[in-house]
This record gives sequence, structure tokens and C-alpha cells, in this order.
Amino acid sequence: MPRAPWRYILHADLDAFYASVEQLDNPEYRGLPLVVGGSVSGRGVVAAASYEARKYGIHSAMPMRTAVRLYPEIVQVLPRFSRYREVSGQVMGIFHRLTPLVEPLSLDEAYLDISRQVPSDMLEEVARGLKAAVKEETGLVITVGGGSTKTISKIASQLAKPDGLMLIKPGDERSFLDPLDVDLLWGVGPKTAEILKHHRIKTIGELADSDLVWLSRTFGKRGPELKERASGLEQDRVEPFRETKSVSSEVTLPKDVGERTALEKKMEELAQEVAVRLRKEELRGKTIWVKLRLADFTTFTRQQTFNSATDDAETIFRVARDLMRRELRPGLEFRLLGVGVTNFQESSQLTMFPTE
Amino acid sequence: MKVSCLQENLSAGLGDVGRAVASRTPLPITNNVLIATDNGRLKLSATNLELSITSWIGAKVEEEGVIAVPARLLTEFVSSLPSEQVEMSLPARSRSLNVKCARFEANISGADPEEFPPTPTISDGLEVEIASDVLQMAIQNVAFAAATEDSRPVLTGVQLELKGDTLLLAAADGFRLAVHEAKLGSAVPEDTSVIIPAKTLSEVSRIASGQEEPIKIMVNAGKTQVLFRLKDAEIVSQLIQGTFPNYGQLIPKDFATRAIIDVSEFARATRAASIFARDGSGIVRLQMTAGEGEDGVGTLSVSARSEEVGDDEGKIDATVEGEPAKIAFNSKYLSDVLNVLGQGMVALETSSPSSPGVLRPMSPAEGTTYVHVVMPMFVQW
Repeated sequence: MPRAPWRYILHADLDAFYASVEQLDNPEYRGLPLVVGGSVSGRGVVAAASYEARKYGIHSAMPMRTAVRLYPEIVQVLPRFSRYREVSGQVMGIFHRLTPLVEPLSLDEAYLDISRQVPSDMLEEVARGLKAAVKEETGLVITVGGGSTKTISKIASQLAKPDGLMLIKPGDERSFLDPLDVDLLWGVGPKTAEILKHHRIKTIGELADSDLVWLSRTFGKRGPELKERASGLEQDRVEPFRETKSVSSEVTLPKDVGERTALEKKMEELAQEVAVRLRKEELRGKTIWVKLRLADFTTFTRQQTFNSATDDAETIFRVARDLMRRELRPGLEFRLLGVGVTNFQESSQLTMFPTE
Repeated sequence: MKVSCLQENLSAGLGDVGRAVASRTPLPITNNVLIATDNGRLKLSATNLELSITSWIGAKVEEEGVIAVPARLLTEFVSSLPSEQVEMSLPARSRSLNVKCARFEANISGADPEEFPPTPTISDGLEVEIASDVLQMAIQNVAFAAATEDSRPVLTGVQLELKGDTLLLAAADGFRLAVHEAKLGSAVPEDTSVIIPAKTLSEVSRIASGQEEPIKIMVNAGKTQVLFRLKDAEIVSQLIQGTFPNYGQLIPKDFATRAIIDVSEFARATRAASIFARDGSGIVRLQMTAGEGEDGVGTLSVSARSEEVGDDEGKIDATVEGEPAKIAFNSKYLSDVLNVLGQGMVALETSSPSSPGVLRPMSPAEGTTYVHVVMPMFVQW
């Protein structure tokens, strides 16, 4: 395939996705502060908050109880993931009409490489068209960011939210990125940001201009990557077939649990969910892992790898249970359990008759 | 015994019975071929107790007689002789067969013919005649899909069903299923189904090749043995006992995508892809896309890739109905079926990347239907 004459990537993000779907499907919720999330009584967390709820300082990943404290009359809805997947599929379909190079990051965001489809003088028209098509066909609002790298397009959409559009012209990379806070950069988490700030690197521009040797010494091979990203030069491509690396399911327990049978029952449900998703995505993995969080928030994982790959709930549960049993001690209580399957096997011949 | 025959006839006769000669047997006599004069012809017989093959060749019989001689030795010796008259003689009460041809002469130590296991005969039971080409085609289309070794012996066999005026052959090895139906010309007296070892049928087809006369099939009343009577040969085989899987259930009733493809182009693309698939456990990937233009011509892409070698993609015009689809097959299973389809157009029907794929010839030989089901490979796309 010949190289496109230039590179332009859009980052499209559905605004308050789960909450918007709920408001769309249930007109009586429209205009009201609403949260989608786990059990109301227990310790579920907010998976999504409508823009009305965000005005009260409610945001995703916040414990449900805090959300209720901030706005007691808040509408609370249990998540309906199959519905979100369905709507997401519809939206991704709209993206695909524009370019085959669509890389979904999750149900509600995706990168689109439009380098080959869109001439530079039509960028804005096309991006507006995309927003309009999603709105018209699904009723949902997207924010679109654009730039010559994935980093720029994603930051642009983050800054433009909600219902926004921000396109950075090729050539304007540095002037756009330089003044921004360094922690807006993908890969700069709280820990990295702290180190950088300690060295008086507060903006993306300062990171771009910082010494490569020092970055390498401080962050290893991540150092040069950070500098490239900060300089608007990274070449990461939009990968339409991004592989799923792991399929997992986890749950925060309504109250800390130390009792074996109760934990195992929960684990069995999780294994079941994982198996269903594996089969849906046609994946089989050789490695099964469990994630455990103690009452004091200490979190650790244990894993086991096998010769043959599985998507079988019973197998996943058996292994997860055994891994978990080794960690149980009298008096030890858990607040979170998770199980996952990874190390996907590339291929296997399917058979006509079930194995005996 | 004193007989003479042509070297090529003798060599061919020994070749026909050769596959029934036992190897590694507790009964050493079955390593022999039985040579006997029989109504002015020479009769050659071999058996491994499961399969017995008898072949008759034209000969000039001057003196009747019978002897068992080591099959491999005689076969190799005869095949190295010039294509001339072969004279075989066995002096009375002797066990040494004298073989002369041109300026060669050999003496081969034989064994007591009385020890040679008698060839089973079938006198009662079912009897039916089938046109040779009809049976050969059915066998060629089906027998390769049987298992070569399996914990389930029935899968090493081919289900043969005679129902009214229909002949049906089915074989499945757990990864693929082939079902061929043909018209018999006349109705059978009684509907019957038996499981015949696939090897037996391959022998029948091999020995019958070139024969125009119909083949007579006989199954004994106890349904333990089957006999195929060819023009100059008889094949008797044990039947496999058990229940053949309900193959009707294994044939998908509907599909999401159907592509109609030229068989020879499909076979060529599969051959090319399988070169690249050798490394990667034989995975050939198929992608079907409907046509966008007015002519509706879509594409079947046949591709393979391997980490070390590289990749390959062949594109073929195809009439594609339904959703765009992708499915991966083991290249051997795909080329096996395309080989027997030979030419013409084939329909490939799929429902999902993990559901069986179905191949059906668009214009099968008159009076026949053929369906082939292949289980896909589970792959990361």
C-alpha cells in the first residue's frame, strides 16, 4: 500500500456513554443527574455519570455512596453491558464507513486513521459530518479530536469535551502540546508526573525539550517514548485489529469476606462470565490468573499456565479456586476478587463431535 | 502344476491382491499369496483375515495345481522380469515353485496351501449390482474423509446405505464429513446399511478402475461381511460393528454467507496458500466479500501466513451472497475436498468463523448429490 501523503488521526469519544444510552432508552431520565453502576446498597462504584450528575462533582470510579451523598436524589441505574455493546457496535459501524482503519479502545472510544480518505482542506467538514451522523443515527453525542499523532488527537478530544470538536493542524503539534500539563500525556501517571515535577518538568513542552539521556536513565525505555509523544512525533499506527490481551471479570464485594465457600461461590460466577466472553470473542487462553484485594487494599495476582488453551468455565473456576485457596489464611478478608484468562492460543482445529 | 501367462498380467494380478497381504502377523501363512489354477485361469489370493482379495488372470493351464508362496518375494521378482511369457511349474509333491521368463529362472520355496485360510464366501443375504463408475465415484468422494486411526472404530469406516434405488456413502473423521448419494438404476430388495472399512473401499475403487462391467455387492445375513464381485476380482471384508454417527445432524441447515467459486481456481489458491501454511499448523484463511458493482462479482481471498516464511494471498472472483465472512481451515482438509471436486463450480457456505463450513458442487454428476462439511480452525484474525 503506498504511503498516504500525510497522517491524520481522529480520536472519537462518546460523551458519558453508558449514562447517555440510559437517558436515550428511558426518556424519563433525560435532563436528570444519573449514575450507572453497581449495587446501590453496597460498595459499587460509578461506572458512568451523566453530565447533569457531573455538575455535582460526581464522576466515574467514585464509590456509589459518595455519589449518593453528593446528590441524594440521583437516578441510579444498573449497567446493561449487552445494550452498550450493541450501541457501540452501531457507532463503530458509522466510523467504519469513513475509514477501515478504526481502532476501538473500548466501547466508547476509538482512533480513526483518515489519512488516505480525507484531504487536508476537508478535515473539519468530515469531522462535523461524523458527529452529525452519530447524533442522527444513534442519538448519541461524540467529541472528536484530531491531529497527526494518536497522542494529539486524544488530548484534543479530552480538552474539547463535551460535544466538542478540536482539530490540530499538522505543523501545529508543538504549539498545541507545549503549554499543556504533562499529566495529560498518555503514559504519564501520578507517579511519573511526580518525578517529572520534581525535576521542574510541568508541561508537555518541557518534557519534549528534556534531556534524552536523563529520560532514559530515569524511565528506562519508556523515556524516549515519552519524549517522542511529547514532541508530537510518535509514529504509533492505528491498529484496526487490536488484539484482546486478556479477558477478565472482577467484583468488589458488598462487604469484606474471609469465608472460603462464599469466596469460591463468587469466583465461580466470575469464571462463568469470563468463559462466556471468551466464547463470544472466540478466544482460548493458556494462562489463568486471579486478582485478590485484601481489606487493607493490598492487591496481588497469582497465575498458572497450561499447555492447552481453554474457554471452559469449569476449568477456569477450578484453577482460580486452587490459586485462591493457597492465599487464604484465618482472619484474612478480601474486598475484591477477579479472574482472567490470557496468553491466547493462536489456533486449534475444531471438532465435530464433542470430546468424551 | 504347470501354467504360463504374460508377465504384465501376473504383475498386475499380484499388485491387485498385494494390499491384502498381511504384514506383522501371528499367522505367517498370511504373508503368502495363494496361486491356484481355476477353470483355465490363474487365481491369486491374499488375506489378512479382515480383508481378502482374489484376482483371476488369463493363463494357459497345462496341469492343475496350487501353492502358497511368499507374496513380497514373488511380487518383487515378477515385477523385475521383462514383459514376456512367464512359465510357472510345480513338480508333483514339491513345495518349490519354478518360475521361468525369458532367460531368468527362479525357484521359490512355498508353503502348504492347505494351511492358507479359506476365502470367506457369502451365499445368503443381500445382493445388489451397481454400475462401476457410480460406485467408484462415490468411494473417491467419500473414503478419504474417514479416520485413519481412531479410538472410535466406526469412524475408520464408511457408512454404506442402500435405500430404494439410492446408494449413499458417508464418512467422517471428526474434522470433516463427506456424504455422497447416487442412483442405483433399480431398487434394492431390502434397505440396508453397513459400515465398511474405508481401506476396503479404496481397494475396490483401485481394482475396479477401468472396469465397465457392474460391480456386485453382497452382504451376509448376519451383516458381518461384505463381498465385492468385480470382473476379474473379488474383495471380501469384515464389516465394522457399531453405530455410525447421525451425520444428518452434522450438516448445517442454513448459512449466513454463500460463495460460488470455480473449483480449479479455488484449488490453485489453496495450493499456493498451503505452501505458506506449512509452518503455521496448516492454517488457510478464507475471506468472502460480496461484490459492490452492478455485476455483483465478489471476492474470495485465500491467504496464509507464517512467522518465519512470510505470507501469501490469492484472490478469486466469487458470487457472494450474504454477510462478509471469514473462516480458517486446515489446508489439507480443504485441498482434499477440492481435489475430488476436480472442476466446475462449488458453493461454500458458512455461518461463523467457528461453525462448520459446507461445500457443495454446483453441478454434480447426473443423479448424484454431494456435500462436504469441514470444521474450521479456531484462529486469531
